[in-house]
Amino acid sequence: MAEVTVRKVEKRYGNVPVIHGVDVDIADGEFVVLVGPSGCGKSTLLRMIAGLEAISGGTVSIGGRVVNEIPPKDRDIAMVFQSYALYPHKTVAENMGFSLKIKGRPKAEIEAKVKRAADILDLGKLLGRYPRQLSGGQRQRVAMGRAIVRDPQVFLFDEPLSNLDAKLRVAMRVEIKELHQRLGTTIVYVTHDQIEAMTMADKIVVMKDGRVEQVGKPLDLYDNPGNVFVAGFIGSPAMNFIKGKIDTRDGQQIFVSNSGSVLPLAGARAQPGQPVIYGIRPEHIDIGPGGLPARVSVLEPTGSETQVFAKLGEDSIDAIVKDRLTVRPGEDLMLRIDPRHAHIFDAKTSARV
Amino acid sequence: MRSNAVGWLLLAPTIVILAIFGIMPFVYVLYVAFHQWNPFGANPLMIYNNGDNFRRLVFDQEFLTSIAFTLKFAFFAVASEIVLGYLLAQLFMKEFPGKGFFRTIHTLPLIVAPIVVGSVWRLMTTPSIGIIPYLLKSWFGIDMNIGRDANVAFALTVIMDIWHWTPLVTLTLLAALVSLPKEPFEQAQIDGANRWQIFWHITLPMIRPAILATVFIRLMDALRTVDEVWMLTGGGPGAATRYVGLHIWKLVFPKTDYGYGSAVSVIVLYLTLVMCWLLYVGLVARRDQKRTA
Repeated sequence: MAEVTVRKVEKRYGNVPVIHGVDVDIADGEFVVLVGPSGCGKSTLLRMIAGLEAISGGTVSIGGRVVNEIPPKDRDIAMVFQSYALYPHKTVAENMGFSLKIKGRPKAEIEAKVKRAADILDLGKLLGRYPRQLSGGQRQRVAMGRAIVRDPQVFLFDEPLSNLDAKLRVAMRVEIKELHQRLGTTIVYVTHDQIEAMTMADKIVVMKDGRVEQVGKPLDLYDNPGNVFVAGFIGSPAMNFIKGKIDTRDGQQIFVSNSGSVLPLAGARAQPGQPVIYGIRPEHIDIGPGGLPARVSVLEPTGSETQVFAKLGEDSIDAIVKDRLTVRPGEDLMLRIDPRHAHIFDAKTSARV
Repeated sequence: MRSNAVGWLLLAPTIVILAIFGIMPFVYVLYVAFHQWNPFGANPLMIYNNGDNFRRLVFDQEFLTSIAFTLKFAFFAVASEIVLGYLLAQLFMKEFPGKGFFRTIHTLPLIVAPIVVGSVWRLMTTPSIGIIPYLLKSWFGIDMNIGRDANVAFALTVIMDIWHWTPLVTLTLLAALVSLPKEPFEQAQIDGANRWQIFWHITLPMIRPAILATVFIRLMDALRTVDEVWMLTGGGPGAATRYVGLHIWKLVFPKTDYGYGSAVSVIVLYLTLVMCWLLYVGLVARRDQKRTA
């Protein structure tokens, strides 16, 4: 086990910079998720930690040792790829034991370690099979088993669940989390799925366009997003954003949208007249008397809850409510916004106010 | 049923062509092989001789020697082509200036007819007029005479075959390499494999089907080489490069011993099949058996 330190790391392809001086600290035994939209540089960063991409600037250290010039095979890491990257011509057992075999370890030791990993992942019955005889979920488990056999200092996961169907993804999520709790090894995990990030991580690193937007615990990011991007990326369905400015009415600050809707604020947050973006999560809106009238455009009932897409004047807003609604599209609903959960962002810098 | 009839109708031209140019000649050769037939010999009639031709070839020293030379030729040529072809394919996997040009140039031998290849090589190697003996003589003081030295003649036929057919191997192996996924190779790096281990444990097994197919094609071709070698050495000096295809040609045409020539052809076909079958069983089938077990 080891900590991983990323200091001012840059990546350029020719003259095109794709990662602009990223700093990330990963503590020993921590489960860190790098999350962001496609092309944000999260996979590139992971591949630089793995040694599969050259580092153009800055340093990456594993266990206190700078590894910039150290080839992947000497970094003492294990990686699980999105495509699983199993060796198609080797059995499950051979796949899992390969790293030990090429180190010239005795057969008995390889067998014992493979068996131990297979027991952890419930792969015992599949050891003699070839990858093409396995289902997606089983392949995924073999790829993880191969990593466990290595007993590395750091596990690297590159979107490992993206090729699985929704149900299996949830199951594997739990399995990976259990694995981490059991082994306690440092994990760096890349995903574009913020739900995976929220549910699995000790710490989330949100990335965009080759920069770190915010680092924090999952619920901290949810409760106190540092800017509009993080606020919109974390949480599902995404936060509502309404443009407007701050005003004062009866000695209290309020928010007035560009289309004239008035939304409540709790306490003084910004200078009156300042152009801002008002953010409110759909789950912090409910329906009841005393709310703001909004015209329903679409309803999406899922059984346990109902998502309401509505228009507040000119502004789109959606809400998630536990009730089953009888309202029809085109009719009005009263939306009650909990002002304690409202987020205010500067319209220019998009930073939290 | 109607669709079946249409299917046969569509297949008919192929079947007819195959029958006329493939199956019928083969059956005819088989038929001739069991006869003594030399239309310009003492008895020009076709006489059924009870498999005597086959009995004869078992003790025919000339035939056995030519088989041995052919196997030696095929082994050296195909093995070198596979190794060289693989190295070139790996080279073409990398980026370097002029790559497209070099790749095009390097496939040119493939479009040259074997008979032309043979004559060009003959021109280049003929003592006193060829450029190769000239340069060897003036640079290294080596006397190379393809007409006298059996080893030189043998080596030249192998080198000519390598020159002619390595591009084919390069292209098939390049196609195989290009189609490989890159993740297992990255995984192998992380697993701690060095370059040789990656080649041995990952690359080689993954392109194995392509290598085997190429070996089969090249082996069958090499075993029936006639025209190139005929042009270059005429089978000489002595019988040093009289490979079996050439041997058959000499039996059938200058000697007009059709019956015996046919018998040799049939046996060579049989030997080729057996060799490929042995290779297949040894390298492919046994593995599959292990897999399904």
